[in-house]
Amino acid sequence: MNVLKVSRWTIAAFVLPCLLLYVILVFVPIIVSFYNGMLDWNGIGTSKFVGLSNFDKMFTNDAYFWPSVRRTFLLAGFSMLVQLPIALFVAILISRYVRKTGFLVSSYFLPVILSVVVIGQLWKTIYNPASMGGMINQILIKLGLDSWTHSWLTEPKVAIYSIILVALWQYLGYHILIQFTGIQNIPADIYEAAKIDGAEGFKADRYITLPLIVPIFKISVVLSFIGSLQSFDLIMVMTGGGPAHATDVISSHMYNMSFLSMKYGYGSAIACFLVVVCLAATLFINLLFNRLDKRFS
Amino acid sequence: MNFINKKMLGTVMAGLLAVSLSACGSSGNNNNGGNASAPASSPAASSSASKDTGSNEKVTITFQNIYPDQTDPKYKMIRNVVAKYESEHPNVKIELDSLNTDQQKLKLKTQAASKEVPDITIVNPSAQMQPFVDADLFAPLNEMVEKNGLKDTFQSGILDYYTFDGNLYALPDGNNIALVYYNKSLFEQAGAKVPTTFEEMVEAVKTLKAKNITPIAIGEKDSWTGSFLFMNVLLRTNGGPGFLKEVLDGKKTFDDPAFTEAVDAFQSLVQAGAFQEGATSFDYNAGENLFKTGKAAMYFMGSWATGGIETSDVSKDGNVGVFKFPTVGGKGDPNQFMLAPGSAFAVSKNSEHLEETLDFLNYFMLNYPKELFTLKGGVGLAQVVDGDFKAAGYSDMAVEVMNMFKDVKGGDLAFDNTMNPGTAQVHLSSIQNLFVTKKDAAEVAKEHQTAFEENK
Repeated sequence: MNVLKVSRWTIAAFVLPCLLLYVILVFVPIIVSFYNGMLDWNGIGTSKFVGLSNFDKMFTNDAYFWPSVRRTFLLAGFSMLVQLPIALFVAILISRYVRKTGFLVSSYFLPVILSVVVIGQLWKTIYNPASMGGMINQILIKLGLDSWTHSWLTEPKVAIYSIILVALWQYLGYHILIQFTGIQNIPADIYEAAKIDGAEGFKADRYITLPLIVPIFKISVVLSFIGSLQSFDLIMVMTGGGPAHATDVISSHMYNMSFLSMKYGYGSAIACFLVVVCLAATLFINLLFNRLDKRFS
Repeated sequence: MNFINKKMLGTVMAGLLAVSLSACGSSGNNNNGGNASAPASSPAASSSASKDTGSNEKVTITFQNIYPDQTDPKYKMIRNVVAKYESEHPNVKIELDSLNTDQQKLKLKTQAASKEVPDITIVNPSAQMQPFVDADLFAPLNEMVEKNGLKDTFQSGILDYYTFDGNLYALPDGNNIALVYYNKSLFEQAGAKVPTTFEEMVEAVKTLKAKNITPIAIGEKDSWTGSFLFMNVLLRTNGGPGFLKEVLDGKKTFDDPAFTEAVDAFQSLVQAGAFQEGATSFDYNAGENLFKTGKAAMYFMGSWATGGIETSDVSKDGNVGVFKFPTVGGKGDPNQFMLAPGSAFAVSKNSEHLEETLDFLNYFMLNYPKELFTLKGGVGLAQVVDGDFKAAGYSDMAVEVMNMFKDVKGGDLAFDNTMNPGTAQVHLSSIQNLFVTKKDAAEVAKEHQTAFEENK
């Protein structure tokens, strides 16, 4: 810090406004949520302090809580284990074989800019039953695979995967862009040197691209994980958590509890759980990648 | 020395800059907040004015409403009445905050949590407005409703749904009943006949289904739609109204045969393929559109849908007919309806201009039925409408619906208007589940009973 040759007070003066805003907009609400989580409160009237009983109920006596947690992690898992590798693969292909990359990368990025409501409605019509003109089912029938048709969004067992697919599709371009930029930033002379040593193509990717992309990949992982935990809008638009909670995730369950069942205290308790999971996950991912970093450098 | 001074000056300048930046930031926030919750800031700005209620003082009243749809007669009505009132009271400005129903519900809850309820807002009857009344947010309207004979314009008994402990807290914008609309040409095409019993209805469903016609349209993503239909079945199997009331009073439980019979009957409808495929992903509007575009043969809904159906293509040449929900297993009386006392106007207790607000609402409600009648929105009002519907150009279907109102011999309110929100949500998703999985009626009953006891 002293490199800057300014006094600590100056630094404090510059940091203070941002810090204040940050504390007011982030920490205060979190603490208030924790407090609210200990209330029996409908959000409007008088409240009663009930200690940790909301949390107790959440963990032991809520038939929809753990399934919604499971679905949230399912989404996160698919996002990290399926979406990111595909994104990385596509990014490598683009950077190797495509001259003018601008058009391709922007087309992949397009769904990210579209409003989730638009995407949700679009995919709803794609998923519709054949009798309502749903594309997927009609294609399946044309191919003679009648038995494969489903009403994708309304069969409890299939619905969540249908939504996950849309989420993956939407944010694929986002991660391609991030990782493509990462690859572009790897100095070309490394590849040239490797070429002389006889490492080309996928061999070069294995020993140069992958290790050097780790820090960027980490950003993608954190973003996709946190994004999955917070997923809400897409689910609200496509199924509203239904049919009968079959597509509820943590955040939609929280919304239902706080605003529809009017159990604001209980909803806050769920929110706290979400905060803790987010923090823990970020820490864990950081730890994991620090190890990876060390191994490669 | 000089150096230090310079350095100090630098620090101070930096500090000033930072402060001014943050000041800008926070004032920007304030503006945003002010816009979002206009009712909070505008009365405060002119709070001194209200104290002496001089007629020349500028007064702004915020009127939160659920009429944002330009094709809805109510959209025009509210603007007409407000314009008239403003021209008669030049010192009063009415600010409209028009939101769709779900947004308004959410916004009001947020506002209520910080006690910043707009001068006039919208609430739903009975159990749904109970929490707001318990939180003491609304001004009683007992005196206001006596002025200018306003009370006598309302149908008898309707105000009870908005009265708590002898105090009236809101005035309804409508009073509706549930009925079945049907597409005459689709019925003809399939050779189905208009059902007079539930069993015939299931038969009609099968006949229609065999001709590849969607028998009943429903928007079950908004789970109240299915619940509304289910409750009508329950109203029949229970042999009359009051099942939920008796559960609330502890005289019955959800394990009662009336309830399980209703579940079974409802499932027989679902299993016969009554509803369009993927019904649980259709929201209210999408479901209604299936019927309005002639893709479904029947549509069960409150009479508020009459206006929209009347002006849609499907009802050309008197193609849409209506019938009362039939008896189930020979039980019940078709003249007992699912009743839907409308959403209602309530006045904030903490309004800075309580007197003016009450005066305006009185004026508004007196003009409400007249204005809507001329705009062809006169079906399903909570107030008595003078005028000949037929002569004013309403369709035969609308007149038929109006006549149904004359047959009403009591009925039940929707589930979420009777039970508290916690129980209601469990009920809603439990019924939604019946659309996608076949369940044992006893299990459904148990689910309800558990939720009811937990949320007592």
